[in-house]
Amino acid sequence: MEVILVFLSAAIVNNFVLTYFLGICPFVGVSKKVDTALNMGMATTFVMTMTAAVTWLIYHFIILRYNLPFLEYVAFIITIASLVQFVEMFIRKASPALFRTLGIFLPLITTNCAILGLALFAVLREYDFVESIFFGLGAGAGFTLALVIMAGIREELELADVPPALRGAPITLLVAGLLALSFMGFAGLLSV
Amino acid sequence: MAAKELPLSKDFFKGFWKENPVTVQLLGLCPTLAVTNTAINGFAMGMATTFVVVSASTLVSIIKRLVPRQVRIATYIVIIASFVTMADLFLAAQFPAISKALGPYVPLIVVNCLILGRSEAYASKHPVHRAFLDALGMGLGFTWVLVLLGIIREVLGFGSIFSLKMFGDWFTPWIVMILPPGAFFTLGIIVGVINYITGKEGSETTCH
Amino acid sequence: MNNKILKMVIVLTVTGIFSGGILATVYRVAEPRIEENRLKELKEAIFIVLPDTVDYKEIERNGTVLYMGLDKEGNTTGYAFVSEGPGFQGKIRMMVGLNKDLKHLTGMKVLEQVETPGLGNRIAEEDFQNQFKGLQFEPEIEYVKNKKPEKPNEIQAITGATISSRAVARAITKDVKRVVKILKEEGSGS
Repeated sequence: MEVILVFLSAAIVNNFVLTYFLGICPFVGVSKKVDTALNMGMATTFVMTMTAAVTWLIYHFIILRYNLPFLEYVAFIITIASLVQFVEMFIRKASPALFRTLGIFLPLITTNCAILGLALFAVLREYDFVESIFFGLGAGAGFTLALVIMAGIREELELADVPPALRGAPITLLVAGLLALSFMGFAGLLSV
Repeated sequence: MAAKELPLSKDFFKGFWKENPVTVQLLGLCPTLAVTNTAINGFAMGMATTFVVVSASTLVSIIKRLVPRQVRIATYIVIIASFVTMADLFLAAQFPAISKALGPYVPLIVVNCLILGRSEAYASKHPVHRAFLDALGMGLGFTWVLVLLGIIREVLGFGSIFSLKMFGDWFTPWIVMILPPGAFFTLGIIVGVINYITGKEGSETTCH
Repeated sequence: MNNKILKMVIVLTVTGIFSGGILATVYRVAEPRIEENRLKELKEAIFIVLPDTVDYKEIERNGTVLYMGLDKEGNTTGYAFVSEGPGFQGKIRMMVGLNKDLKHLTGMKVLEQVETPGLGNRIAEEDFQNQFKGLQFEPEIEYVKNKKPEKPNEIQAITGATISSRAVARAITKDVKRVVKILKEEGSGS
């Protein structure tokens, strides 16, 4: 039950993109077509879930055990960078078809602040191992949701007469504001 | 060679307006939006980021010949994460209130594309003094936009500026401005207005 | 080729050692200050929720940390503890004071919250926190809306932020009972 709450909270109520502003760069940059957004979202969700598991192990079995809190950020970012590289090599070998859809997004994921944010938030909230994994899954699902909704809107915006100065990023930010406003309607959903 | 080189002042000032990391390049949007509900938070985040980008760029430029191409990014990331940890420890020790308000967004400076971007694209190819000026200009360019966002949101959302009350009791704060939607609206409008002034047609982020 | 790999390994190792060494040094300097800040904050909160307290003693009972407040003569003034529970958007953490007869609360101070600004975050305002002075918690802390509380175990919920107010009442009710149980067992045991 607890893990489902963690999942829903990360995916919807406290959506990573729309309430914590994590993963804004790909949100503004990549969300132009629904299927690209979906692929990017899936690749990110995959890496997020792996990151949640691995950084939890590193934090609890190395950083806490040997009392090295000052190495937390360095350790996390190295873990994420290596993990992304590893996932890339693995997918390339295991499924060339999948690699063709997800491959181009993988290198971009290292500097996606949603991944490091996930690892940091999981530590701050003192999640246990299983909760961390569900937190990763939920955050990934929330990221994908936000990205796909935005892509859907932007496909329509292509046809709209947006003032020249607002084209691209500015109108995306304004639309994101409206989305964030509507996602605030979910607040309080899980508090009782 | 010397004739083709840009004057040093250009290295410094391009970050303020022409190549501003936020309004033109749309880099580091996550801290830009997340911590700017008050002017002081925006300022603190800007200064912390400036410290990291200047230190990282300078060091990267010093060691640029020693680092083989294949491990460049890995080395840079470790350097950046180390400076971020220092900034984080410093804030927690000297300014606990600010450290608490910024929370996990301080460690997230590690993945601010602005920093790795400057190290990779500029500092690794230019001499130390240029790398330093470039990073300082970018850092301060980042800071002023964050402070501006912070001021707009704080004035409308709390009715104060740097925690000083601006209006009488008649003023009803626009709470939405200090909530997440307010961050998106304010930045969207700022970028739009700047595009309008410079006559640019729309803008895209240069980082994904 | 081998030379190249060797160089890569050396560069990465040296970077790692340097970064680890420098960070360890910075940490050693900063850590006492950070700890000091944390203790100062804790102490201030304890002194606010337990009136007439000038010192405190930390005690731990089956994983629960309690702070026993002491006055100038060294007499027990009451017990403070950290209570937390889910709020409207995230966790709410509070310092709660309990009088020494374990009958009523002596104060409450919000330590951490991420409730809606202007509505739910008013739980951190004095007017709301002061309602917990002398509040009884049996059978549980209740809340009333838009009127003055009548019973000794009632607080007035903040207008427009019933969920945040209720979250505070529930979290404290749950934790205070656990603390009272621990302290009573101890009293009967000795």
